[in-house]
Amino acid sequence: MTHPGETCIVVGASSGIGAALARRLAADGCKVALLARRRERIEQLARDIDARAGRRLAMPLVHDVADTSSVDTAFDAVEAELGDVTAVYYVAGVMPEVGADEFDTAKDVQQFQTNTLGSIAWCNAAARRFLPRRRGFIVGISSVAGDRGRAKRPGYCASKAGQDVHLESLRNRLWDKGIHVTTIRPGFVDTEMTAGLGLKGAISAEQAADAIVRAARKNKGVVYVPFKWRIIMGVVKSMPSFLFKRLAFLQ
Amino acid sequence: MMLAWQRERVSGWGMAVGGDAEVVRPTSADEVAACLQVADRSGKGLGLRGSGCSYGDASMNTGGRVLDFSRMNRILDFDTDRGVARVEPGVTIRDLWRRSIVDGYWPAVVPGTMAVSMGGAASMNIHGKNNFVAGTFGEHIRTFTLLTPQGERLQCSPTENADVYHAAIGGFGMLGCFVELTVELKRVHSGRLRVTAVATRDLDENLEVLDAHRPHADYLVGWIDVHGKGKGLGRGLIHRADQLAAGEDPEGERMLRPELQDVPGRLFGLVPKGWIWPGMWCTVKAGGIPWINWAKFRAGLKEATRAPYLQSHGAFHFLLDYVPRWHWAFRPGGLIQFQPFVPAKEASRVFRALFEMCHKARLVPYLGVLKRHKPDPFLMTHAVDGFSMAMDFAVSDGRRERLWRHTQAMAEVVLAAGGRFYYAKDATLLDTSFARIHGDDAVRRFRELKARLDPQNLLQTDLARRLGVI
Repeated sequence: MTHPGETCIVVGASSGIGAALARRLAADGCKVALLARRRERIEQLARDIDARAGRRLAMPLVHDVADTSSVDTAFDAVEAELGDVTAVYYVAGVMPEVGADEFDTAKDVQQFQTNTLGSIAWCNAAARRFLPRRRGFIVGISSVAGDRGRAKRPGYCASKAGQDVHLESLRNRLWDKGIHVTTIRPGFVDTEMTAGLGLKGAISAEQAADAIVRAARKNKGVVYVPFKWRIIMGVVKSMPSFLFKRLAFLQ
Repeated sequence: MMLAWQRERVSGWGMAVGGDAEVVRPTSADEVAACLQVADRSGKGLGLRGSGCSYGDASMNTGGRVLDFSRMNRILDFDTDRGVARVEPGVTIRDLWRRSIVDGYWPAVVPGTMAVSMGGAASMNIHGKNNFVAGTFGEHIRTFTLLTPQGERLQCSPTENADVYHAAIGGFGMLGCFVELTVELKRVHSGRLRVTAVATRDLDENLEVLDAHRPHADYLVGWIDVHGKGKGLGRGLIHRADQLAAGEDPEGERMLRPELQDVPGRLFGLVPKGWIWPGMWCTVKAGGIPWINWAKFRAGLKEATRAPYLQSHGAFHFLLDYVPRWHWAFRPGGLIQFQPFVPAKEASRVFRALFEMCHKARLVPYLGVLKRHKPDPFLMTHAVDGFSMAMDFAVSDGRRERLWRHTQAMAEVVLAAGGRFYYAKDATLLDTSFARIHGDDAVRRFRELKARLDPQNLLQTDLARRLGVI
């Protein structure tokens, strides 16, 4: 998995886990396509990756995951420049602030577009290309938030749950066709998206990226990052609803 | 995008000092400029922080705001012909050598950990085991861009804005933010160094050995058994390392691969090193430190009988990275380091006096490290033509106040002998020390620059307040 010389797409590479993942893959010698909306960010990151490698490994490409109709065009553009893609990492995600009494459909739609539909579109596009080659890796960055419906962020939890279930379906569909699908459920990770949330014990984006690459290399199915979240979420998931809804610190 | 200030605990690397602050992590010079404007209006003062490797309070601003540069970490360019890197301030020593080693370059000055950032290294003007020959990190910075609190971007070099260049390097983040630095690296022909160990019986022999090797060695560092008493006071083990000439190491070129420079991740190839610190914690709590020092000294005697051996640059330099999170062994109180720089002619007397004070007070450091130094051209320099002795003390609630008084009493001995201190390591110096370390003229010039570049005293740290700089 992602040995030097392999070609990866990181969707949502402009910051946080996506940027760290792109650097981590390039450090192993992989060619990396950096996809995100913010042109300046991905161009700066591409220059940094190339400068660190001493050769051209990064390809920045402006892309909005909400525009699912443009996924195939973007995929083709990457393959035309870098060659056959062997791995797709879907990292793009949004988590807008939601007030206690706010029920904003537009915000929820935005989260579903980015977190769920974007992921589905990219995974489908990857599966279509990987199937005839009988080889490929799809890694989706979901969240522990998808494990339970928390009061604070209904739209985010639901969108991540949707992404998570789609990844599981794909895994069950493709496992015997040479295509590995890995679901990553990060716990607290210190990124621009989570800045201001006061997350205690958060790991860095670089630590998360390292764990993600290691998990994907081992063809894991579902991985909590860091591992302690498997235990935490095991307890949380087994909690009956009447109790869970009353525990404010979990919401 | 508006950056979010996040309230979090900001500690020194030694964990002995820390406090809450609002922290933000910009990713570009423009975002830094925006943060400076917001911070200016809030009036809480702003501390600058790189990787947070300073042992004490140099990158803390308790109750105020902190600008953390760890996400502004892009390598902008690396010139493989000249070995010159253009970097952002959050790029670490590790990032730099991983890029440069494949092309046969190594950072000219590296500290004991590769986690240090370029901005932090410049602000504290760090030194390495080759200070006596290569000088400080700042002497290898060709140019930098300093973003001042007033929003001015100053291009600085030894010839352009030379006063700011010589004051901002080593200026502990008081004059502005490094937003871009151009750093010169040195050529290496092998990924390894030739290492020679020399066992020493007492303090004076350490100093003599360092001076005897100084004219020809590339790196020198001494480990001191600070628990030795009487005739064995200050005994230790000195390591000398030399670069290899082209063709001298048959494996030299292969060893330039970055993965062969990283310190090993497992002990004996089995135990992940991340699991070691709890064992160290138990050793510390059980009072096993003197026995560890004794065992290391005995092992050193044996090592010194070996012929010189080859060791990778990474393994020789980054001793602090061998055991991840080893400083957690000193939880919950943490640790402080006391590192006096003493002129050569006073070193024997002063270090002997310090060791005796430690034994008398029963406040003996768990580690002592000796290095040779030379003066540098920077305004707030910590270097002298002499020696430094880094002494690490474990902190516990029961002896914290006594330890602080003890190090302050030791500082008095050092200052009376014309010694200096290094702010990346300090946590206990008093405000009366600042002028005595640098001299009235240097302090006046530094304050004039501070008034010119930061008239509202926006840039503040706990260190600067403790030393009475602002």
